[in-house]
Amino acid sequence: MITCERLTKTFQSVTAIQDLSITIPDGCIFGLLGPNGAGKTTTMRMLSCLIQPTSGKAHIDSYEIGNKADVQHIRKMIGLLPEVPGLYETLGAYKNLDFYAQLYGVPKKQREESIQTTLTNLDLWDRRNEPVGGFSKGMKQKIAIARALIHDPKYIFLDEPTASLDPMAAKVVREYILELKKKGNTILINTHNLSEAERICDSVALVKNRIVKVGNPKDLAKGLFTRTINITIKKIPSTLLKDIESFSLVSQAYVQGNQLILNVKNPEEDNPQIITWLLKQGLQIQFISEEEHSLEDVYLKLIEEANQ
Amino acid sequence: MIRWRNAWIVMRKDLAEFKKQKFVIGSIVAMPIFLGVVLPLVMFVPMVTMVPLDRPWDINGLLEIGNLPDDATIPWTNKTIQNGSFDSTILNHTKIQNTSLTHCIIDSCILKNTTIQDSTIQKSVLHDSILINVTVIRAEGASLDGRNILAISSDLRFIKTKPSEIDQVLPMMFNMILMIFIIVPATLPTIIATYSIVGEKNNRSLEPLLATPTTDGELLTGKIFSSFVPSMGATYLAFTLGVVLLDIVLIPKVGYPILPNLTWILSMLLLAPTACLMSVLACVLVSSKVSDVRAAQQLGGFVIMPVVLLMLGVLAGFIFLSPVMIFIFAGLYGALDVGLFLFAKAIFNREAILTKWS
Repeated sequence: MITCERLTKTFQSVTAIQDLSITIPDGCIFGLLGPNGAGKTTTMRMLSCLIQPTSGKAHIDSYEIGNKADVQHIRKMIGLLPEVPGLYETLGAYKNLDFYAQLYGVPKKQREESIQTTLTNLDLWDRRNEPVGGFSKGMKQKIAIARALIHDPKYIFLDEPTASLDPMAAKVVREYILELKKKGNTILINTHNLSEAERICDSVALVKNRIVKVGNPKDLAKGLFTRTINITIKKIPSTLLKDIESFSLVSQAYVQGNQLILNVKNPEEDNPQIITWLLKQGLQIQFISEEEHSLEDVYLKLIEEANQ
Repeated sequence: MIRWRNAWIVMRKDLAEFKKQKFVIGSIVAMPIFLGVVLPLVMFVPMVTMVPLDRPWDINGLLEIGNLPDDATIPWTNKTIQNGSFDSTILNHTKIQNTSLTHCIIDSCILKNTTIQDSTIQKSVLHDSILINVTVIRAEGASLDGRNILAISSDLRFIKTKPSEIDQVLPMMFNMILMIFIIVPATLPTIIATYSIVGEKNNRSLEPLLATPTTDGELLTGKIFSSFVPSMGATYLAFTLGVVLLDIVLIPKVGYPILPNLTWILSMLLLAPTACLMSVLACVLVSSKVSDVRAAQQLGGFVIMPVVLLMLGVLAGFIFLSPVMIFIFAGLYGALDVGLFLFAKAIFNREAILTKWS
């Protein structure tokens, strides 16, 4: 489990991240969302023991971030994918992976098998000795992800894992991340890709140099937006809008084509009364649905509020 | 505590990358070969061909140079002479103690507590002796006002010596070539070592490397040896080639393989590696502090100054590279190496490297 308590990092006069308090349970995919310069990479670097927190505490299992005695243990438990692949471009994919596997102390036989399996899965086994400098961005990213996983770490930190990938490759990576979760890995992802976060993250934190909001991506919208009901009616009479606005349960109403759109405070309680009323008016209701807000809507709203 | 295995892994990776840089390898091999092989041959070949054949560098030739009278005799061989006094004598394979020698030729002798004046010594061992106006030729050992003898005691005093014509030229040239072989390994790492960390940073490969369980010391050690090994390898290659070719050129005149002598061997075993290591360490240190390869190489150029100073001292005649001097300088450079390593390790800051470099 990863826990951060009021974790803060300041670079001279600039505060990269302040009072970050989050808990990432084992086996969870946790997303850090935020604009550029929001402190996502700084947070990941602190948790990777690459930079020291200015204040606050963070633990990975029982090991403390910033404690010199724990640094080596923490680094062994983590697989890090930085923002850019950072491969040794003149070396082949095999040597790139072998170098890191050796540094992480992976035994020779296991190393060889693991690299062969990984490169075969990536369709790169036949090109294992070709300099990776000649590979596509997506291919490099895949090798870099394989590098982060070469020592079978418990915790995987991925900084923009699908940023340079085409949609097909990004899908493969997302599926791979979900597989890792099934295996019991705990994954921390920095991403700008909100639909991706929505699809794979169990929990997200919106950050803008501090935490703006934490929670399940599906629950983040709750309380942020007025809840909106879309009612499709076969034929909407012209007087309906005026009549329904006098309805105390409806805060706002408007008509779009044959859709009646209503803002209500508590749909679970109010909807039956509204529907009953509409039926009494002799209207034929075809569909009823609640308008959903995407993570992008949540993100934009929250970041806008944070900027204000 | 450095885990050498990790340093070894880092070194091997860097060397594997280095092997792919054909032009860098070419420049690293070409530089010592040009300076240590081609240049000396260009200097020596004309010089050797100009030395007349009727004046071989042997004892007969020296008889004309020294002040030995025509009636010189050879009274003793393989004997021990004690408490004597000899004038105008040739002494061969003799042990001499508490004796005074004037106007003598001393060849392959062991001399103890002996005063030698206006004489020529060749291939001899001296203990606690005084030399006044003595010519010493073609022998090995510690310094003797610009020439070498086979061995030397700590109390030997030199008052004034008179070099032979050839021995005036050869040691100077040999010293110059030797200094090339010392300054070259101190220069070569500026090409590789300055790139070691700043290059990784520019390639964006440093962050995943720093995230591994490798300590600062292991990382630095690996980086240091990945620059040290090719630099010294190229130097030793050029040295071997240079020595063989110089001997081939000089044997017809000298009569035996004159190189490598003790000074050269000690220099190559002690002075060159410590000078190289010093340069590597300083370059790696600079490399971990600047963010641009060119800046690292510019600054790295300054780190060979201590070696340049030694070279200037030797060429100007202020410093003579005797075995003792070699040990002193190697010790000095070794101490600097240790200090530089500890300093580089102390100021190696992963956070600053990752966050302050743009």
